[in-house]
Amino acid sequence: MILRTPPPKKQRAEPILHESPSPQVASEGRLVIYEDNPLAAPPPESPHQPSDHLLCTYQCRQMVKADFIDALSNAEKQIRDYQSKLEILNENLSKAEVERKKFRDQFLYAEQELAAAKGREQMLHDQLLKEVNDSQERFKKQLETNNELKGKLQNELNLRKKAESSAASAEEKAADIEGKLTQFSQSIEREKKQLQNELSQLKGESKLSISRISADLERTEFRANSAEKESELLKEQLEDLKKQLNECLNQKSEVEKKMSSFTFQEVTSSESSILIKHLQEELRNYESEVREARKLKSSHEDIELLKAKLLEEKGRRERAESELSKLQEQQICLSNLEKELSLWKLIMKDIPGVSCPEDIPVKFATLQKEVIASTMKIGETNARLKQIEVGLDAAQLAKQNAEAEAALDKEKAEILKSEVKRIELMLSMVTEERNKLSNAINELKRHKNEEAGDEVASGTVVQELESSLAKKESCIKELERSLHEQKEINDRQHNEIKMLHDRLNNEARRIKSLDRETDRLRSEISLLESKLGHGDYSASNTKVLRMVNTLAVDNEAKQTIEALQTELQKTKEKLQALEELKSQSGDTGKLVDSYISEKITKLKEQIATLEKREERYKTVFADRISVFRRACCELFGYKANDYTAQPEISHQVDIFVRKLNSIPAFTANLTVESFNRRTLS
Amino acid sequence: MASRTVAKDIITLRGSAAIVSEFFGYAANSILYNRGVYPEESFAKVKKYGLPMLLTQDEGVKSFITNLTAQLSENEIVGKEWLEAGKLQRVVMVIMSKATKEVLERWNFSIETDSDVVEKGVSREKSDREIMREIQAIMRQIASSITYLPCLDEPCVFDVLAYTDTDVPVPFTWIESDPKLIANPQMVKLHSFDTKIHKVDTLVSYKNDEWDEQ
Repeated sequence: MILRTPPPKKQRAEPILHESPSPQVASEGRLVIYEDNPLAAPPPESPHQPSDHLLCTYQCRQMVKADFIDALSNAEKQIRDYQSKLEILNENLSKAEVERKKFRDQFLYAEQELAAAKGREQMLHDQLLKEVNDSQERFKKQLETNNELKGKLQNELNLRKKAESSAASAEEKAADIEGKLTQFSQSIEREKKQLQNELSQLKGESKLSISRISADLERTEFRANSAEKESELLKEQLEDLKKQLNECLNQKSEVEKKMSSFTFQEVTSSESSILIKHLQEELRNYESEVREARKLKSSHEDIELLKAKLLEEKGRRERAESELSKLQEQQICLSNLEKELSLWKLIMKDIPGVSCPEDIPVKFATLQKEVIASTMKIGETNARLKQIEVGLDAAQLAKQNAEAEAALDKEKAEILKSEVKRIELMLSMVTEERNKLSNAINELKRHKNEEAGDEVASGTVVQELESSLAKKESCIKELERSLHEQKEINDRQHNEIKMLHDRLNNEARRIKSLDRETDRLRSEISLLESKLGHGDYSASNTKVLRMVNTLAVDNEAKQTIEALQTELQKTKEKLQALEELKSQSGDTGKLVDSYISEKITKLKEQIATLEKREERYKTVFADRISVFRRACCELFGYKANDYTAQPEISHQVDIFVRKLNSIPAFTANLTVESFNRRTLS
Repeated sequence: MASRTVAKDIITLRGSAAIVSEFFGYAANSILYNRGVYPEESFAKVKKYGLPMLLTQDEGVKSFITNLTAQLSENEIVGKEWLEAGKLQRVVMVIMSKATKEVLERWNFSIETDSDVVEKGVSREKSDREIMREIQAIMRQIASSITYLPCLDEPCVFDVLAYTDTDVPVPFTWIESDPKLIANPQMVKLHSFDTKIHKVDTLVSYKNDEWDEQ
């Protein structure tokens, strides 16, 4: 501040010494012109100034004037100098003021920046705190989830151990069952051998019996042939004898007639006695011949009996052949049984816990239940695994988020550090400028001792700036401390993240192992499903039915009926032949009749069963056809009985139904024709 | 915009049994045609399930299949049919070599019956169109099975087996039989369809082709 009051005397004296030698004028800086009026007292305003009165004559006045003028000019010069110096100083002051303003603005800017940085740091600090809290919470949650996952993993491990133990026990059981199976197979082989031995024995016996029967048959055939030949011869003899008998009887009757006629005449002649004797002899002969004929008859009867026996032997032969065929069927059954046994063996090998075939269905049921239970368990484990996977994914995501946030925090910390460094640099620059300013100000101070008020003010400003700088430095130190703490916190978080990462890796490994187990279980499930899909079943609650091919059945039935009918005809022809023979032979056919009657009864029974079957088929067909006819009648509105007898309708059926394949056309034609008929009639 | 909810139809036990037995009939015909068991000229085209289906015109085969479907859905002689009683576990169509009687293919149709419906006689709801779509998918798969099933070069015959409960009385046109399994078969699982009362799973198992083994 420039003081307007004049400086004190001492200060005045110095410039006086420095400047012009006119003491009288220059010392004061002020001239008091003598005036005639001596009463003109010196101005009261300068009490400090001594009142020097200048008394001179005209010359003195001129001299004084000249001196005054010189002094004036010098003073003016000085004033000009001073003015110029003032101007210079003013310029310097203005420059200093400008610079001060600049520095003030810079200080304010720096203050604002510091405040903004402080605010940002506070915000960052708050954000960091929040993020740290969030990350801590997340880490806590992750830890909780990890603990839960650990628990679940332990449960899964326990389940796995249980499954392994059950598998080991199942393997042991399987080994036991294999042993039992081997024993069973050995027993089966023994039984097979026994059966084969029995079979061979039966075969041998059957062969022997067949050979015996064939030999017997041949013998009987020979006997029958010979007996037939004998019977034929005897028949011829019988006929001759019969003829002779008839002739003899005729002769006898003639002779008796003659005898009767002769008795009336009473002719006693030896010739008649001789005749009688002769006739008696002939009678005896004829009686013997009759006896022979009767013997022949009996032999004939024997022949018939032999024939019957032949037939019986033939029947036995057929039965033996049928038994042979049955043997073959039994062999086939045996082979099938062997195949089934091998199948059962294979099944028993696959299935543990089976000691005998009866246990197999039970074991199948238990195995199916176990499969169902295991599939349910697998489903549950799959669900748990999926939950664990979801949790792990969430944990990994959280971990990634935490890592990202930690990276962001790092970056922010680094940014803050860089900002702090920048601010420090700025501060250092500012301090340097301050120092420069202070130096400039000190120089100004030195230069401006005369204008002392302004320099004091600038010194106070500088002090204020210095105090604010100190405050900023303290704030910066506090920020550095907080940054350091945050660094420590970040380091701790990094370490925790690393630990969690390790745990996550371990859990990922465990999950992979569980995945492998699930794959194995899935493959087992697919195997079991394939076995079920293969067609395996439990005989305890399932049976397999096969639909018989009705066409084949019908054909077979028809064939059997036809065969039985041919047999019937043959037996009828045989019956007729036998009846003819019976009429010729008489009582000898009784035995044959009995055999034939047995056969006839059997055939009749077969015919009765076939007729019953036919009737059943007919009833079923009748029911179905009635239903079909009713349906057709209801659908089309027409009922045709015996349409083949009516040529018109059969013709229409041929055209519309068989050729054109159109029933509506047929019905439409029928309606039109019936309409025409009714309208015309 | 039209309503997105699909209209559901009420399905009773009898209706479901009819749908399933009809499906068997058409599936059997399709298998016989596609596998070449009977000549192509003996089949006639009809429209069913939104597809052109082929039905045999051979009287014997026709009567066989109709008797089969009748046994499954309506059996007047026995009294109660298998599907309605929930006694039928699966139906298997077996294709065998005519000469050697060796089983070459097994078309397995497994049936799961809702026991609640059988016991209580309740009905379920499902769209007929959806059931038709599911059956259509199975028919398409049967038709496309010729791409991976081995060729049947020799004359073949077919037979039908029914896996039933042990307490089912055997009708006079049926006899007990062995399951006619294939040793070490290849299996292909096809689609399934569900009427909410009967669920039918389809699976074909076939004998490994010698060329594949090589």
